[in-house]
Amino acid sequence: MPEKPIKGEKRYFMTGNEVVAYAALAAGADIMYGYPITPQNEIMHYWTRLAPRYGKDFLQTEDELSAGFTTVGGVLAGKKSFTATAGPGNTLMQEPVSMAEAMRLPIVVVIQQRGGPSTATVIYSQQEVTMTTIGGNGEGFRIVYSTATHQELFDYTIKAFNAAWKYRFPTFVLGDGYQAKMRESLTMYDPEEKGIPIVPSEPYVGKPGVPGVDRPPGQYRNTYNVEEELYEVVENLARDFNAIAPEVAEYESLEAGRSDLVVVSHGVISRAVKEAVSELREAGASVGYFRPVTLRPLAEKELRDAANKAKAMLLVESANGQMARLIKDAAYGCKAEMIPLYKPGMGITAEEVAAKIRSILG
Amino acid sequence: MEAYVGEYASGKSEVAVNRALMLSRAGRRVTLVDLDIVEPCYTLRPIKKELTAAGIQVLAWETRDTVGLGETGNVLRAENRWALKRPGDIILDIGYGVEGSRTLNLLEGASEDPDLKVVAVINTSRPMTGSVREIVDYVRQLGRVDMLLNNTHLGDETTAETVQEGARFVAGAAESLGVPVLATAAVEEVAAVIGFEDCVGNPVWPIKRYMPHTLW
Amino acid sequence: MSLQLAMPKSWRVDTKPHKFCPGCGHGLVLKALGQAIDELGIQDRTVYGCDIGCSLLSWDFFNFDSIQTHHGRTTPVITGLKRANPNLIGIAYMGDGGGYAIGSQHLVNAASRNEKITVILVNNTQYGMTGGQMAPTTMPGQKTETSPYGRDPEKTGYPTQGPEMVAAVTREGAYVARGTVSNPRQLRGFIKKALENQIQGRGFSFVEVLSTCPTNWRTNAEETWKFVEKEMTRYFKVGEIKVPEPRHEEGK
Repeated sequence: MPEKPIKGEKRYFMTGNEVVAYAALAAGADIMYGYPITPQNEIMHYWTRLAPRYGKDFLQTEDELSAGFTTVGGVLAGKKSFTATAGPGNTLMQEPVSMAEAMRLPIVVVIQQRGGPSTATVIYSQQEVTMTTIGGNGEGFRIVYSTATHQELFDYTIKAFNAAWKYRFPTFVLGDGYQAKMRESLTMYDPEEKGIPIVPSEPYVGKPGVPGVDRPPGQYRNTYNVEEELYEVVENLARDFNAIAPEVAEYESLEAGRSDLVVVSHGVISRAVKEAVSELREAGASVGYFRPVTLRPLAEKELRDAANKAKAMLLVESANGQMARLIKDAAYGCKAEMIPLYKPGMGITAEEVAAKIRSILG
Repeated sequence: MEAYVGEYASGKSEVAVNRALMLSRAGRRVTLVDLDIVEPCYTLRPIKKELTAAGIQVLAWETRDTVGLGETGNVLRAENRWALKRPGDIILDIGYGVEGSRTLNLLEGASEDPDLKVVAVINTSRPMTGSVREIVDYVRQLGRVDMLLNNTHLGDETTAETVQEGARFVAGAAESLGVPVLATAAVEEVAAVIGFEDCVGNPVWPIKRYMPHTLW
Repeated sequence: MSLQLAMPKSWRVDTKPHKFCPGCGHGLVLKALGQAIDELGIQDRTVYGCDIGCSLLSWDFFNFDSIQTHHGRTTPVITGLKRANPNLIGIAYMGDGGGYAIGSQHLVNAASRNEKITVILVNNTQYGMTGGQMAPTTMPGQKTETSPYGRDPEKTGYPTQGPEMVAAVTREGAYVARGTVSNPRQLRGFIKKALENQIQGRGFSFVEVLSTCPTNWRTNAEETWKFVEKEMTRYFKVGEIKVPEPRHEEGK
């Protein structure tokens, strides 16, 4: 048996894409399927270099439709399977993801967001929020972790595999081109040594025994005859998803229930927001922040609580209101006024956020 | 004439930029060449103007001259191919890639140039080059390497101990590989703590970090 | 320098020098295409589509109407255009990843329907744009960023035989050939015949071109030519594979 990729705990200096490859190994991933697209390529580059050393597999497919559906196949065979993509590749990936959603298949998909619409830029964006949380035909029964640091990329990639196999919903790690390429240090560890149990995988098909003789055949479908049949399926999915939501939802906040203004952001932008808010708080401003870590499901109760206590919420994102739609929907009827700071496809600095906060607080 | 090669994110560009500035400040004529053809980000492009202002000839793309950066931005500039024919000191910043220093094949005259030294930049805080054995294995598959350079650091968390531990690993690897160590590079604050020589007697190059400003 | 004089009439002078790497084969293919179009006098009704990948650098290369499409989708875009206006000459220009991987279904189906368009596919055995990953055309043992230990045909198959596949699924009237940048005269002949086939409305026309990528192969000039002439031809046979009329003699 090949030894474990990571033993003990150690600080490393890495790029985000590498972190994902190592985290997938640490999480016990068995196989990656993928198609080249910037800015996620180095996830594949590192996985292809490392995988054979630890008895893991890789398949480069003909496109992202195929990468998604082969990931579905891997999961059906009981292997921890994942893929990574971005932008137009994420668009193609929506069809396989909707199959996984319908059939409760725990695929793990890492998205490194790039600019849109169309081929656009490969650099950075937060414009894949709508597609990743509720894309495809269906209802968006997925778990989406939006990370902000390399440490989180490591922690949440491991968590994504565990959540996927525990709850059996497709699970995303939503990063971006900055996180993919940026270099910073983090601690890598073996999750089990740290007391994080690895949720085992299990085959859907090909279990031991003769189907129909030793065991019932494993037969799965996503097509129905009448509206009532589908209605029942979707109702069950919704019930199960809503039931796990409070347990899955994660957020981070600072004085969100006690400030006049609460700044809401996710992913890498939340780093700038934290910096701006901390600085202005020290100067005496009544401002806090709320950062959803899971964009799907959202920490709705806590968000509504903040939205009811604050006078205003400033919604900051590198998109034209994609996170804002999720927030406004969850906070419907709450008293806070919603103020946008949207810069689609652009980075946002702490200085810009601070200037906006000052202009609102007067 | 020095070519900096090494693992992804090992600090090749950082060392190359600092080396070019070091030589330029000593009054020498320096050309710095961007030969990163795998990565469209963290290359010299964004600091080209700054370096040119410091008196260095920089052979790198301008963002406005590229189309679909990252989709087709990893292309080699025609001028760079002839870089070795230029007068003065030539510093080559070579990107990572599965065949490492084979990138030198793209330069006219690289194989017969007696002055060219290929320097492998090593950061032992990188998971693929974290031990003597891993460094040796990694450098062996790079192809031609004439010297090693210790660039061990942990970003903002770097201490003298981090760098010294790296110096010991790199020295061990250099011995197995039968090549010398050119230097240990460390940010100025840390270099000041270490002194002129690292714990194994190699010279310390104090450097400034430019590359964090060059994302895309 | 005779570079200016040698430029085909249909090239856009103000976008030259072009943006391809030194030693890249695209320039030679696009020169052959430009010359063929000059000779046929169809610059006024040519519509050119290019894919994602290095081929997109040609989006403003010619003095004819051009569309830079999505990855793998150039064939259906040009098909739709030709269906809507059959007077146009539609050219879909792409790489091996765009044509044989992500766009393979479009290639197979456009060929099967005998669409009256011309597809020119540049084969340089890897994905140049994204930094040199394995492509369907990568040869056994060849190292790329996603086959770092060399392509293992037992695991990932042998290089796609594109023209042979297209020849197998097309009806009579189709034109299929494989040219190489190491024989530009022959290549120009193949491309011209492919375009003539479209002009005459006979059927699908397809030319694969063996091309060079010294940047990602990390090869010097000598090794580059050796690779294209000696290595690539071990897996990819140059010549006309399906012709609707007597064989083209040019370049023999």
